[in-house]
Amino acid sequence: MIETRDESGVLIIELARADKRNAMLPEMLELLHDAITSNTDALAIAILGQGKTFCAGFDLKACANDPSGDTMRALLTGLSKCVRTLRQHPAPVVLGVHGAAVAGGCALLGGADIVVADRHAKLGYPVVKIGVSPAVSSPFMLASMRPGIVRTRLLDTDLIDGEHAYKLGMVHELCDAPSDVHDRAVEIAESIASKPGSGCRETKRWLNEICAVSDEQANAGLNASLELTGNNEERERLAALWGES
Amino acid sequence: MTNTPATSSAVLLKIEERVATLTINRPDARNAMSVEILDAMHDAVDEIKDSASSVLVITGAGRALCAGMDLKAVLIELSGDAGMGERLLTRLAELTLKIRGLPQVTVASVNGAAVGGGCGLTCVCDVTISHSDAKLGFPEVDLGICPAVIAPWVVKKLGPGVARRTMLMGGIMSGEQAYEIGLVDQLAPNRDALESLTNNVAQRLASGGPKALSATKRLLNELDGSFDETLVLKGAKLSASVLATPEAQAALAARMKR
Repeated sequence: MIETRDESGVLIIELARADKRNAMLPEMLELLHDAITSNTDALAIAILGQGKTFCAGFDLKACANDPSGDTMRALLTGLSKCVRTLRQHPAPVVLGVHGAAVAGGCALLGGADIVVADRHAKLGYPVVKIGVSPAVSSPFMLASMRPGIVRTRLLDTDLIDGEHAYKLGMVHELCDAPSDVHDRAVEIAESIASKPGSGCRETKRWLNEICAVSDEQANAGLNASLELTGNNEERERLAALWGES
Repeated sequence: MTNTPATSSAVLLKIEERVATLTINRPDARNAMSVEILDAMHDAVDEIKDSASSVLVITGAGRALCAGMDLKAVLIELSGDAGMGERLLTRLAELTLKIRGLPQVTVASVNGAAVGGGCGLTCVCDVTISHSDAKLGFPEVDLGICPAVIAPWVVKKLGPGVARRTMLMGGIMSGEQAYEIGLVDQLAPNRDALESLTNNVAQRLASGGPKALSATKRLLNELDGSFDETLVLKGAKLSASVLATPEAQAALAARMKR
C-alpha cells in the first residue's frame, strides 16, 4: 500500500493502492507514518500517488462496512498523525497531486511545504456530505493557507481544480498534464536536497515555529472530528452514498 | 515644497509635501546592505517619523532596490570579524521593526533587483510596486543560509503556505511572477513606467486623511502581531548562526568568486 525509495537524499513515498484510487485504510496510514519517521536523514521528501489519481481520501467502503465507527476513528487518528509527522520532519516535503486529492487526500496538503498539481486536478474536502467533520485538518490548513480560504474549503463540499487552487495558494506550482506532476515534484525535491549546508532545514524549522501548530490545537481538531464519528448522521449518509455508487 | 534634509550620502532623503522618498544610494554595489547603509537608513527613518509626510517611498539608486546583505561584510575570511554577521542582521531586524512601526504608509518601489534581505524589506512595507522585468526572491537557501530574520514579514505578506514554498525553494523570480503570488501589489509593464506608477500610487495614498491612515496602519500592525519584536530579533540570531557555519561560509566564498 506504500512504496518507498531513496534517490540521492530524496525519500520518495508512493501511495500504492492504485486500483482503489489510493483510498486510505488504517494500515496504509500506519505504513505511511512509518515510512516518514524511519528516514530522518532524508534531505527532502516527495509524496506521490500511483495510478490515475493522487488520493481519493478514506476508503469509504471500509468505513460503511464497520458501523461501530472504529475504522473511521482509526483513519482520522492515523491521518492526523501522518500530517503532524510530515510537518515535524526536518526535511521539506513536496506533494505531487495528479488527478485528484480529495478529503483525506487533500488533508495531506497540511503537512506539505510545496504542493505541485496538474491544472485540472480536483481538490477539496467534501466530507460534511457524509456526516464527517474535517476539523481534524483545520489546524494544519490554517497554518498553511489564508484563514478565509480554509473556512470556505472545509465547509463547502465543492471540488475545485488545480488552477483555482493555485490562485488560492493551496497549490504552489502547476503542471499542464497529470503525467508531468511526478517528475516535477521529484525535481523540486532533488533541487532542495542539493542545496548546501543547513539553510533549508533551519528555514523549515523556523517557519514551523512562526506558523506553529501546537499539540493542543492538533488534538482539538482531531477530537472534534472523532466526537462525531459513529453517530446516526454519519452512518446513514455513508450507507446512502455507498448504496448509490 | 521640497525639503532635502541633511542625510548621509549612503541614502538620499527627499520630502515633498506629504510624500517622503528614501533612496538607497550605493548603486555600484547594487545597494547591498552594509553597516553604513543600515545606519543611514535608521537615521533617515527616524527623521521621516517626525515629519509631516503621510507616505514613505523606499527605492534604490541605479539598477537595483537592494541586493541583500553585503557579502564582503559577512564573509568572515574577508572581513576578519566573526561578529559582523550578527551585528548586521540585528541592525536589519531593528530597521524592519522601525519601518513597520512608522505612522506613514510605506511603499517599496522595486526598480530592479530586490534580493534576500532586500526583498524582505519590501515585505515590511505596506505596498510593493515593481515592473515586469524586476528580479525578486529569497535565494538564501541556495547559499546554505537561512532567511529567518525576514521570514516573519514574508509570512505576513504572502501567507504561510506561499511564504514556505518561496523561501524553501530559493531562487529568483520576475516581477510578473512576484505579482502573481502577491509579493508585488502593483506592476508596471516595464522599468520606464515604474516611476510614474509609483508617483500615482504615492499621491493617491497621500490624499487620504493622515490620522485615518496612521490609525488604520496601527490597527493592522496590532492585529497581525507586527509589534512582536522578540520573533524578529530571534530570527536575526538564527540567521547569524547559520551564516557562521563552515558550509554557508564556503558557499558564500564560492559565490563571491563567480
